[in-house]
Amino acid sequence: MEYWKDESEPIKAFLKLFESTKEDKELTDGLKKVNQLIWFDYTEDGPNCSYYWDCRGGKLEAAAGKPAEKPDLVMSLSADNAHRSWSNKLNPVMAITRRKIRVKGSATGLLRLAPKLKKVAVHYEKVLKELGWEDKILK
Amino acid sequence: MQGNTGKVIDVDLTGRSVKIASPPDAWYHGYIGGSGLAARLFWEMAHFDADPLSPEAILIFMNGPFAGLKLSGASRSSVGGRSPLTGNWGDSSCGGYFGPELRYAGYDGIVLRGRTAAPSLLLIEDDRIEIVDAPSYWGKGIEEVNSALKERFGKNHRTLVIGPAGENMVRYAIILSEFHHAFGRAGFGAVMGSKNLKAIVVNSSKKRMEVADPVRFEKLRKELNTRIKENLTNSVFRESGTAANLEGGMFAGDVPIRNFTSNFSEDMGEALSGITLTEKFLTRRGACEFCSVKCKRIVKVPKGPFAIPEGPGPEYETIVAFGALLGSKDLAAACKAGRICNDLGLDTISTGGTIAWAMEAFEKGHLTGKDTGGVELRWGDLETVIDKVLPAIARREGMLGELLSLGSAAAAQKIGKGSIDYTCQSKGLEAPMHDPRGGGHGMALTYAVSARGACHVADPMLHIEMGACYYPEIGVVYDPDPMSDTHKPEVAVRSVELGGIENSACFCQFADRELAIPEWVELFNTVAGYGWDVEDMMRAGRRVFYLKRLINYRYGRTARDDTLPPRMLEPARDGEPKGIEMNFSGMKERFYELMDMDPEKGIPREATLREYGMEEQAQKVW
Repeated sequence: MEYWKDESEPIKAFLKLFESTKEDKELTDGLKKVNQLIWFDYTEDGPNCSYYWDCRGGKLEAAAGKPAEKPDLVMSLSADNAHRSWSNKLNPVMAITRRKIRVKGSATGLLRLAPKLKKVAVHYEKVLKELGWEDKILK
Repeated sequence: MQGNTGKVIDVDLTGRSVKIASPPDAWYHGYIGGSGLAARLFWEMAHFDADPLSPEAILIFMNGPFAGLKLSGASRSSVGGRSPLTGNWGDSSCGGYFGPELRYAGYDGIVLRGRTAAPSLLLIEDDRIEIVDAPSYWGKGIEEVNSALKERFGKNHRTLVIGPAGENMVRYAIILSEFHHAFGRAGFGAVMGSKNLKAIVVNSSKKRMEVADPVRFEKLRKELNTRIKENLTNSVFRESGTAANLEGGMFAGDVPIRNFTSNFSEDMGEALSGITLTEKFLTRRGACEFCSVKCKRIVKVPKGPFAIPEGPGPEYETIVAFGALLGSKDLAAACKAGRICNDLGLDTISTGGTIAWAMEAFEKGHLTGKDTGGVELRWGDLETVIDKVLPAIARREGMLGELLSLGSAAAAQKIGKGSIDYTCQSKGLEAPMHDPRGGGHGMALTYAVSARGACHVADPMLHIEMGACYYPEIGVVYDPDPMSDTHKPEVAVRSVELGGIENSACFCQFADRELAIPEWVELFNTVAGYGWDVEDMMRAGRRVFYLKRLINYRYGRTARDDTLPPRMLEPARDGEPKGIEMNFSGMKERFYELMDMDPEKGIPREATLREYGMEEQAQKVW
């Protein structure tokens, strides 16, 4: 991995990002519209390198690992590309076309969130600073 | 011949005679099929001094080599000829079921010439080809006529029908198949109308087809069908239609609002998106024959002023053309406007584009109540559009109907007052619902150099700039950077070549994004036995592009016409592309160099034409 010391680091950052976005009404509304259980699968970088969102029925929860229930959507990518993606430095369409992101399931809900990636990136930068990981911020 | 049938129906409507033509094999190899082969036949057969709405004009329907082969996305077909809207070469592509049925009947295409004395239809049932008198259908809407034809000939007979707009020769009238699938662009419904031909009906008793290498083709077909179905974009289209990502497009600045005066409205993005359509009005999904993408919508608006019964629903272009472009976020109104356009036989893109121009002209006082017969054209007033403007256009009623039936460019020329500056078209063809200032500067270039005019499906530049194409075999490996000119001329060269290929193969742009370049070659070789390598195929694509430009040159179009009006080149006023300048002339100049085109004539140089095996054409234009 180019940006992470071990498989726990990205999950720590991404879970904190989820909590941070929940403080933003616009993003919260966007997340609620996703209305899906999504597994972010980075296990190509380690067996425990994954986490999930549960945004079904108004819930807004995230946790490390694979969800117990069958996810509506699985996004498989490397932890480095996830970092680029949350930093808004990875064009998702291009990444999918070039198989850098592999998607299984319905991505319609996620489409509603995609336009907000720019705003998510602002939160992500803040989160990285709070974690003392300024060196990971992509310019 | 394999894949293709090698047979084209040649109909003289004046003499009521039919013969079967066999285009030379070399034309299939050189121009593939679909719009490329149609252009090659046109070059050979057309009277270049004929008015597009005169009996001397010819109209050519043409399949690609994959029609009927049970390949997802390959059931489209093309129509081509001189466009009554632009006066230039025009072509249009239609999905559905007609192309495969024509192929099963034993034909690659149909050439229409002349004019019947009275309203007629053309009936094709295998070897039986007949011109049938059909006065009772004239004046009726497409929905009614389509149903009547099904009742008369059988539900498996596939139809192409024109509406009142075609009969009245509105310059952007469509030809509609099965009341759902449109040959939408460039006005060929008017050409059929000028020939007194209300419909074409085809049915075949056979379903067998020969391909060059059945074993290899079958393996590839199965693999592609699976991948096309599972492709993420296609599953999104299946779920939420072609407007699924309208909100994303809005944030990118790709969606035009109020005649391209604005590039952002979050409310409109959400209200008009395919996801909203699915939630509110979708009853079923539809598909073209053999296609697993199923992007077509069947909708019902149960109540309210724009209530419509269950039937064909709008896709992205129609939703934006009768939504954001006219300053409306009423999705029900867009559904109803689309349905009415289908019935009247109007192209929703050109209709929306022309009305948007008229609304701005009205706002500016360039059009007044005196010109419109008292009709007030106000942003967002879809009730007036639906109740008054659409019927007036289709029937060319009153000053307003007559004016708007010309299309935006001709209407602007007629009223003057600088109103041409805020038309959104190229070469007279209204731009689709992708604003290149946000959607991608490369698309401004390809809109401008497209032979038929501003068009997002003439080539895949829209997809390339989104990041949906990656073709290392031909050097399309750039990271997308929509709002810049970086690499755009180089990419545009490949894009117009690919456009020549996919529109001649009659392959849907959604489905064929899944094909890698070597798979394209494998398809042509296993189906039609062309024996190509990648270079041969790309050269065929470019040859098609060149030929269409040569046809335009014979109509007096030159490099000067490869442009966009000021509205589409000035920096956007808001949204993601706000204030960003576009290097249009720089991109165009470089594209001309790369394509070896004369910077004044706008056509390939003589030596280049000869290098592409176009000696006969070179002799004619140089």
